[in-house]
Amino acid sequence: MKTLSPWRWNAVRGEYEAGPPPRPHGSGQISAVDAFRNCTMLLMGGTGFVGKVFLAMILDRFPELRHLIIQVRRKKNVSGEQRFFSDILNSPPVRPTVDRLGGLDALRQKATVWEGDLDEPLCGISAEVLAHWKGKIDVVVNLAGVVDFDPPVNESFETNVYGTQHLIDLVRLLDTRLVHVSTCYVAGKRNGKVPEDIEINGYFPRRDESPDEQFSVQKELEWYEQFVKETRESRHTNPRPVRERLREGGMNRADYWGWTNTYTYTKSMGEQMLAQTPGLSYCIVRPAIVESSMEFPFPGWNEGFTTSAPLVLMGGEGVKGWPVRKDGPLEVIPVDLVAQGILIVTAAMLSGKSKRVYHLASADENPIMLPRLVSFLGMNSRYKHKHKKEGNRLANAWKAYVETQVITVESLQARRSRLHRGLDIIHAALTLGKTILGAKKVDPYLKSLRDTRRQIRAQEITLDKFLPFMFHNSFIFETRNIREAAAMLTDEDLRRIRWNPESIDWADYWVNIHTKGIEKWIRPMFGSSKKPGTG
Amino acid sequence: MNKAAFYDLDGTLLSCNLVTMHAYYARNDRSLVKSVYQLSKVVLSVPLLFGLDLYSRSLFNVFSFRAYKGMHRDRLIGLADDLFEVTIKPSIFPQAKALIDCTRDLGYRNVLVTGTLDFTIRPIALHFGFDEIICNRLEFKNHIATGRVLTPLLAENEKARSIREYAAQEEIDLAQSCAFSDSSADVPMLSSVGHPVATNPTHRLRRIAMRNNWPILELREPSSTFPPFLRPAKAL
Repeated sequence: MKTLSPWRWNAVRGEYEAGPPPRPHGSGQISAVDAFRNCTMLLMGGTGFVGKVFLAMILDRFPELRHLIIQVRRKKNVSGEQRFFSDILNSPPVRPTVDRLGGLDALRQKATVWEGDLDEPLCGISAEVLAHWKGKIDVVVNLAGVVDFDPPVNESFETNVYGTQHLIDLVRLLDTRLVHVSTCYVAGKRNGKVPEDIEINGYFPRRDESPDEQFSVQKELEWYEQFVKETRESRHTNPRPVRERLREGGMNRADYWGWTNTYTYTKSMGEQMLAQTPGLSYCIVRPAIVESSMEFPFPGWNEGFTTSAPLVLMGGEGVKGWPVRKDGPLEVIPVDLVAQGILIVTAAMLSGKSKRVYHLASADENPIMLPRLVSFLGMNSRYKHKHKKEGNRLANAWKAYVETQVITVESLQARRSRLHRGLDIIHAALTLGKTILGAKKVDPYLKSLRDTRRQIRAQEITLDKFLPFMFHNSFIFETRNIREAAAMLTDEDLRRIRWNPESIDWADYWVNIHTKGIEKWIRPMFGSSKKPGTG
Repeated sequence: MNKAAFYDLDGTLLSCNLVTMHAYYARNDRSLVKSVYQLSKVVLSVPLLFGLDLYSRSLFNVFSFRAYKGMHRDRLIGLADDLFEVTIKPSIFPQAKALIDCTRDLGYRNVLVTGTLDFTIRPIALHFGFDEIICNRLEFKNHIATGRVLTPLLAENEKARSIREYAAQEEIDLAQSCAFSDSSADVPMLSSVGHPVATNPTHRLRRIAMRNNWPILELREPSSTFPPFLRPAKAL
């Protein structure tokens, strides 16, 4: 469906402008086509949300790429190679590209699979393979990592910290360069514009409040080893589950230094390990919150459980009060723009024109303010509940017609207290009813109440996880470096890849692409152990 | 050379119009009080709009679009799917989809040429499977509708001009193309193609069609037959 019009939407100014969009023009100091033509690339973490889109995009946009080696983890009895050819290449975002390129057999000529794991020394790649490829790989692109916000601290450390050390060892042994994908949120709890040139080494977000303290990766590793040892040893004396205490320990440690969660704390440590390695040729790409694709591989592709998907799903379930900043943006960026950004940075690195850090974010050029998102969530809820066939009609009508509101955290807490008091009263009444009317009549209502409480608790936990990004802090990540790199590309490159978050029509994106993508790809999988898009 | 089937929307493929579409947005404002106020304004404006439509479709469009003044674009886009389900879908004529499928099967590019606004069109276009859309757009300042429509206002002669421009760009043979409309305001559009079809025509258009030997099609009636130039595909 194509709309023909002499007008184009200026998303930043919020008005239509006359004429077709300007043709992109680059200075030609970097040629991505030439850079990739002579390039053998090792891709780590090509099986995740960003990884699959990046994989499909480089195959689709740069068929000139000389060779692609992709590291894939073994899963139980399925080898890395089997996973790649049967699962990854058949997944919804990659399959259309594979078909366009001539099917799996054509890909076998182009790609080599290494079975490996970031958690193992030298990423689990055998010595023979490494000896064969030494000096022949031009760049390693690392997209692997544990992206859960608050996993048990050992899970995060093993991949995001020790895994980075394994990666560094691998890159040095192969004598190559590294494009390492991290996150904008390594900035931690802070407000305002976050520049790209903050010193990486020794960084911790509370540095300005505690100038006498020093952050050291080595000391954190010592703390970690000690903490995990003590937690495991106290298994028999402490009644709380070890996993829960490991989770809490990571979050508390992150909070102490000023990071929002274990994920951002460990990713920052990974960056600091790169910065501390003498002679390492690397650059760091930091995407913000990665969301559904705008166009590639098709509009609305999403499989990210740590994106805004939980919020969109909660909104669809009829949550009305949203604690967000009235004057703050949500730093989201579509996954296909992230993939293009990583390609631009990789081309810059291969051409010797890269900088140290690249933020991939939208608010610097085209912010989407949080109250607008709350309004979108409300309209999605209205649509869903107005046309819902099942459930209580009164509840559906309430969820359809009562508008969403922007509230404060204090107001949120008051609402929660009222809600839980109300549920307690209902519970007490049902318990009394059980003694009078008997268990047979009342038990179904008690079970329903338990389910409702569980659902409400799950929503509260999800919302709390996002508060640092919606309420407590307001971030705008500067994106000068990626804009400069994109401006150095050739016109031919710019026909294939762009960095253009300023063109995102947020209303169209959020309503017609992102929300529908989440409903299609994420909702069926939510609560299921199977992740979407894995065939 | 390619050929295309140009479709008007309101009255041709469905019975609702610009006023009913705006009435939906009016009664779905952010609060009950605002909804009642907005809906009252729409109801009061109906006699004026009815008169204007008889006099000039362009003037009718200009006045009906003024009612959007002050509305946020996010809301107009965000409620478009609901508008489609509640107001538009039930008003689609029984034979409309079959006609569009028929022209597609015969190799026509289906193009919607309508005075309706862009944000309401998306679900309609997806439902019918239109390839291309030419429609009106509201003017916005900082995401808020000013109540004015962007030029050129798509109505009457402007529809015909748009079709000719589109045909030139896309190498469409207008003599081999067809057009469907219900209104005499679209006579210039119908006259631009080799196969004009008066579809659910008004009295005035019916008279013009009979004078010019244009086929007349009633999409409201499930038993109506398509014009001869479309029948081979239907038979298939």
